[in-house]
Amino acid sequence: MAWRKIEENIFKFLMVLATAVVVGSLALILITVLFKGLPALNLDMLTKTPQGGYYIGKGGGILNAILGSLVLGLGATFLAFLISMPLVIYLHLYLNTRSNRARLIRFILDLLWGIPSIVYGAVGFTLMVFLGLQSSLLAGIITVAMLIMPIMTRSMDEVFKLIPFELKETSFALGATRLETAVKVILRQALPGIVTAVLMAFGRGIGDAASVLFTAGFTDSLPYSLFKPVATLPLAIFFQLGTPFPEVRERGYAAAFVLTLIVLIISVVTRIFSARFSKNIIR
Amino acid sequence: MIDVQTHIRVKNLSVWYGKQQALNQINIRIPDKRITAIIGPSGCGKSTLLKSFNRLIELQEGVKITGHVLVDGEDINDPKVEVTHLRKKMGLLSQKPQVLPMSIYENVAYGLKIHGVNGKKNLDPTVEHYLQEANLWEEVKDRLHTPASKLSTGQQQRLCLARGLAVEPEVILGDEPTSALDPLSAECIEHRFLKLKEKYTIVLVTHILRQAKRLADYVVFLYLGNLIEHGPAEEFFKNPKDPKTRAYISGGFIEETTRKASG
Repeated sequence: MAWRKIEENIFKFLMVLATAVVVGSLALILITVLFKGLPALNLDMLTKTPQGGYYIGKGGGILNAILGSLVLGLGATFLAFLISMPLVIYLHLYLNTRSNRARLIRFILDLLWGIPSIVYGAVGFTLMVFLGLQSSLLAGIITVAMLIMPIMTRSMDEVFKLIPFELKETSFALGATRLETAVKVILRQALPGIVTAVLMAFGRGIGDAASVLFTAGFTDSLPYSLFKPVATLPLAIFFQLGTPFPEVRERGYAAAFVLTLIVLIISVVTRIFSARFSKNIIR
Repeated sequence: MIDVQTHIRVKNLSVWYGKQQALNQINIRIPDKRITAIIGPSGCGKSTLLKSFNRLIELQEGVKITGHVLVDGEDINDPKVEVTHLRKKMGLLSQKPQVLPMSIYENVAYGLKIHGVNGKKNLDPTVEHYLQEANLWEEVKDRLHTPASKLSTGQQQRLCLARGLAVEPEVILGDEPTSALDPLSAECIEHRFLKLKEKYTIVLVTHILRQAKRLADYVVFLYLGNLIEHGPAEEFFKNPKDPKTRAYISGGFIEETTRKASG
C-alpha cells in the first residue's frame, strides 16, 4: 500500500513539474523581452520609421516593421483562410471522414506542416522569380500563406472532428443540402474553434522570419504597395540583435516585446468577439 | 383494418455495414396514417430500417444497400431522386434530442428557411403554430430568442418535434424518441403521437414493449436483421405466430426457441 502511494506521488510530482516548465517558459519569455526591451521602448519607436543610421543607434522607430508585419500577417492569414475553410468543409461534409481520400489529404497537410519555414522561403523565392515579382509584400503574403495554411487547416479539422455526427444528421434529415448544413449549422457550432485555428496560424505567420527573408525583403519605408518590399518585425529583431551595439540590441528586445504584444492583443480581442457570437453553440 | 394505402413499401431490402449484414431481405408495407412500431432487441436492425426510409443510412461508413424502398411508389435509391426532397417528406425524431446551435425560434425556422419560407411576417405565425403543435409554445413564448441548448431534455425533444413538423412532412420517423426522456416528457411525446397520427404516418422504433402496446396500430418485429413477424398490433400481441415473437413479447429467451426450432 505504501509503495503504491509513493508511486502515485512520484508521478504526480513529475506531471506538476512538466506543467511548471511550460508555465515557466512563458514567464521566462515575457520577462526576458520585457526587462531587456523596456528601457528602449518609447513612443518614437512605435510612431516613427527608421532615420538614417537607425541600426547603429541613431533616432527613429520601427513603425515600418510594425505596420509591415500587421499587413503581411493579416493578408497571409486571409489568403490561407480562403483555402483552409473550403478544404475543411470538403473533408467533413463531402468526404467520408475516414475515407482514403480524406486520409491522404490529412497526410499531405501533416507533411506540409512539418516542412521548415526556410524551405517555404526558398520555394516562395523561386515562385516569385518565376512570376517576375521582386521581393514584395505580395510575395511575402503568398509565401507566409503557404506556410500557415496546413496549420490552420489541420487545427480546424481537429475542431470539426469534435462536432457530433448527429448534428449533421439532424440538418440533413430536415432536407438541407451539404452546403446549407456546413454554412448554417456546422460553422456556427465550430466558430470558437475556427477562431482559435486562425489565431494560431496568424501567430505563426507574423512571427516567422525565415519565410519572409527573401520574399518580402526589408525596407525603411512604410508598406504602401503590394509590389514593393515590406519590413517585418522578425527581421527587424534579427537585424538589431545582430549588431555589436548594446543599445541597438536593446531595441531588438523592445521590438520582440511589441511583436509578442501584437499577437496577445489580437488573440484577446478575437476571443471576446467569438464569445459574443457563440452563445448558441451546444456544449 | 390495415388498408392498402401505403406511403412506404419495402421490397427485398438488405443492408450491409462493411461485411456485416444488418438487414436481410425485408419486405413490408407501412400503413398510412397509423403508428407502426418497429420492435426487437438491440442490434436487430431497427434503426437501420428506419434510416433507410430517408436515406440517412448513406452517411454511414462502408454501407451497402440492395433492394428497394418505395415512397409514394417511387424508388428512393434511384439516382434521379432528389434526396433533400425525400428527406423533407420525413420528419426525424432521434434518440437523443439534437437541437441546432441556434435560438429556439431559429431552430424551428431553420427548416422553413431552407425550403424557401422567408421574412418575419411568414415565419412568425408558422413557428408559433408548430411550437403549439408540439405542445411547447406556452413554455417558451417569452424566450424564443434564447439558445435552444438551454432547454431541458424533454423540452428539447418537443422542440425537435416542432422543427420536424414545420417542414410539413408526410411521415414522422421516431428512433426511440423517448428513451432519453424522463417519464413525464416521454408521456407528453406519446400523447402527441396519438394526436399526430390523424395527419401523419408515424414509424416508431422502440425497445419498450409497453410503449409499442400503448401506441402501435401495426407492429414489425425484427430479430438479427430478419423480419420475423409483422401485423396489426392487436393480433400481433394476442396471437403471435412465430415462437421467437412469443418468446420476445413474453420476456423469454429468444435464443432458446431458436435452438429448439433448429434442433
